[in-house]
Amino acid sequence: MAANLTAGAIAKMLSGEVTEEKHMTPILQVTEIKLIQQTRLNQELTSVERYKVALSDGIQSQEGMLSAASNFLVKQGSIQIGSILRLTRFNCSPVRNRRIVIVNEQEIIAEKCNIIGNPIPMLTTPNAPQAQAFGTTSTGFHQQQATRSGVLPNSPQSHAVQRQQAFDGTGTGQATRSEVNGLADSHQPQVVQRQQAFGFGTGTGFHQQQPQFAQRQPFGSGTSPPSARPYVSSNAVGYGSSRQEQTYYSRPPPPSMYVNRSPVDRNQATPMISPIAALNPYQSRWTIKVRVTSKGELKHYHKTSGDGKLFSFDLLDADGGEIRVTCFNEVVDRFFDVIVVGNVYLISKGSLKPAKKEYNHLPNDYEIQLESGSTVQQCYEDDAAIPMNRFRFRYIGDIENMESSSIVDLIGIVLSVSPTGLIMRRNGTEAQKKAFQLMDMSGRSVEVTMWGNFCNAEGQRLQSLCDSGAFPVLAVKAGKISEFNGKQVSTIGSSQLYVEPDFPEAREVREWYEREGRNAPCISISRVSSGAGRQEIRKVITQIKDENLGTSEKPDWITVSATISFMKVDNFCYTACPLMNGDRQCSKKVTNNGDGTWRCERCDRCVEECDYRYILQLQLQDHTGVTWATAFQEAGVEIMGMLAKDLYYLKYEDGDEEKFEDIIRKAAFTKYIFKLKVKEETYGDESRVKATVVKAEKLDYSSDTRSLLEAMHKLRTEDANSLTIHPESSNYRSGAFNSSVDVPPRREVGLPAANQFSNDSRPLGGVILCGACGSNGHVFANCPSFMSEPQGQHYVSTQGRNAGRGMPRQHVGSY
Amino acid sequence: MDTSSPAAFVNGALLRRYIGQKVRAVVQVIRSDIGSVTGKSTDDQQIVVKGSPPPSLTTFLEVIGIAESDNTIRADVWTNFGDNFDAGNYNELCKLANGEFRHMFI
Repeated sequence: MAANLTAGAIAKMLSGEVTEEKHMTPILQVTEIKLIQQTRLNQELTSVERYKVALSDGIQSQEGMLSAASNFLVKQGSIQIGSILRLTRFNCSPVRNRRIVIVNEQEIIAEKCNIIGNPIPMLTTPNAPQAQAFGTTSTGFHQQQATRSGVLPNSPQSHAVQRQQAFDGTGTGQATRSEVNGLADSHQPQVVQRQQAFGFGTGTGFHQQQPQFAQRQPFGSGTSPPSARPYVSSNAVGYGSSRQEQTYYSRPPPPSMYVNRSPVDRNQATPMISPIAALNPYQSRWTIKVRVTSKGELKHYHKTSGDGKLFSFDLLDADGGEIRVTCFNEVVDRFFDVIVVGNVYLISKGSLKPAKKEYNHLPNDYEIQLESGSTVQQCYEDDAAIPMNRFRFRYIGDIENMESSSIVDLIGIVLSVSPTGLIMRRNGTEAQKKAFQLMDMSGRSVEVTMWGNFCNAEGQRLQSLCDSGAFPVLAVKAGKISEFNGKQVSTIGSSQLYVEPDFPEAREVREWYEREGRNAPCISISRVSSGAGRQEIRKVITQIKDENLGTSEKPDWITVSATISFMKVDNFCYTACPLMNGDRQCSKKVTNNGDGTWRCERCDRCVEECDYRYILQLQLQDHTGVTWATAFQEAGVEIMGMLAKDLYYLKYEDGDEEKFEDIIRKAAFTKYIFKLKVKEETYGDESRVKATVVKAEKLDYSSDTRSLLEAMHKLRTEDANSLTIHPESSNYRSGAFNSSVDVPPRREVGLPAANQFSNDSRPLGGVILCGACGSNGHVFANCPSFMSEPQGQHYVSTQGRNAGRGMPRQHVGSY
Repeated sequence: MDTSSPAAFVNGALLRRYIGQKVRAVVQVIRSDIGSVTGKSTDDQQIVVKGSPPPSLTTFLEVIGIAESDNTIRADVWTNFGDNFDAGNYNELCKLANGEFRHMFI
């Protein structure tokens, strides 16, 4: 049904090229229809119905009037919004600097059609202007204009005079105004949406020289916001011109088109803006002009008294005061879509309640609750006096002294981001979690965790920025401090993250980082090695000892990429209880009763057939060192490639020694990614750090290489010191490497080279102080003081020393 | 094959630096003819490898030989690398091996 509108017709009509049907009979679409009551004084005082329309050619629209004879067409629906008409007899003439089309006759081409193009809408007066008797001019049209403007009670100060004269006087008086810049003038300040670059000039462009109104303001709800001051400068949000007419200091504009349709402060001649700081429950008449700094999500709650929904948003005013606003139930529906973060609004008639400190972390004792009588009006003119956001940044170094659960704003550089992990919450739901290290000018870094949506949006952005080697600046508003392996910060519902923000503090941080931060030692106030979410914290084996992993109350979970260099075959499995204890298998060691049955102490039962479960003592080795670890069933199966039971039978029942050895040999010297749980345990007087293999995965060279490349890249862009270590450390490895040049596996090629540098790579965000000489930039393994002695030997000797013991104690690289 | 001099890891862009010298490269096989194989280097440039390719070729192929021009290698050793190969990583290796860490390779 898409008829072709005569594009450009409106422009021609506006410019005067086309004034009547003998020039052209354009096809236009009706985009708006309004019923106007006109009184004509020059005839009897009768009220006549006329339809005022906006006709569009798909590009622009123009006001027009249908002939009275056509009224019935509108009434019966033949002409409706969207209808396509061909103007067969019409007149287009300027009326007080505007062009109106008087349609005397039209042909209906289509009754119903979707709006074609994107014509700028024209008529938006929310209230049909009441008929008012003004002076008349010959065409009823003028009256109509007068009518409409009559509803407009206010006017800009400077033009008030003019305007009012115009209104008070006769219709002809209207001619006096608006010649100021020769811009065609509409007196429809309420016609909020009109922003045309030509012709129909918006609002009054009195002050405006040029069309700032060239900008279109999508006017969500058609209100005419009062502007705070007479619009003088060109920081136009475009509307300024039309807003002129309704300045603050005069009567409030015609009712806003917000759902509640009540003006901000109708009764006050001059709505006074109070600062947020002055709000209190004892004063009910107040208006605040504020910017929304954050908007919460829509939340539903269930109470015994009933269910409901609520949402909150935070406000900031020009004095820096902040307050939270909450809406419940029906009020939510009214305002949820209206409130947009960053916009400025005038809010009035809410009630003041004491702030709920549990949820509300703003520094205000009160919070606003909006009711059905409250009003929220958007200010289109951006108030530069109100800052976009108000931060109270603290140094990470201060966090150590702050209490848990306190709220803080931070700004710093993101050092590293870890991949998103999924955590199972106690109530069974999963939550997305992403962590990163943030460092600031205090020289400290902290682990910041983001939950939920932050992971996807800002989290991804941060990750890609970091992956590409950049160190972005991040500002955190309302982060919560928690104590978990040192101090950590996490996001809460009302937190906000700003990546690479544009405020002065951000620039300061960036400059500091460029200057010194890059190379500054970074002390983490969080225990980096915590893998509460089982994040992949890659370590090298020497770090287990260096960093005293496992010595704190909680076990440390780390990931290492290592090879099995030795496996104890004597007791590779044990007889286990096969009974189920809830979800899991009991797996406690069962004792042989001698008659072929096995007794489990925990279950207190005897079973005929026991289960065999792996308990492998493995020696794991990587380029830095060696450690013992114990692998249980799951990891054991992965490593050995067969069930413990089968292996057991193979050895003991079948007595096939050769095959057994074969299998063992195959399993050894294979490289895996091990997830280890490291914990210090006390055996009588001695305490040893034990490592348990939680998971063993075959090494995916591709992704492993990639992460090494990343580490290298990161390293290279950092501390220049570490680079000088390389030649030395390369000595003992390069020989090994070169010999493997002609030998596959090729794919490993990337790794050995890279390995040398991962030696130096900082544990993400942690300390890189050398255990031996105490200087920073390298770890113990790479310390120049040990340069000449390949680490492997060092360990071997200690191994030898303890080998005689025969007990699988863990040697975590004792020096 | 002469194993006295190590072969430099090259991709398309680096090949021209080693004209006349021994190089090694991994290419993705695009076309295979008698006497030559046309491949795509790990940085998406076309490389022609002359010589006698093995009868069956997998997707990725490593060749070691002398660089004849900035897009041709006369290969002595051909090794099938299979169908799964991370070209990106290899490319990074080439860059590093010829850049910052060349002292380790050559």
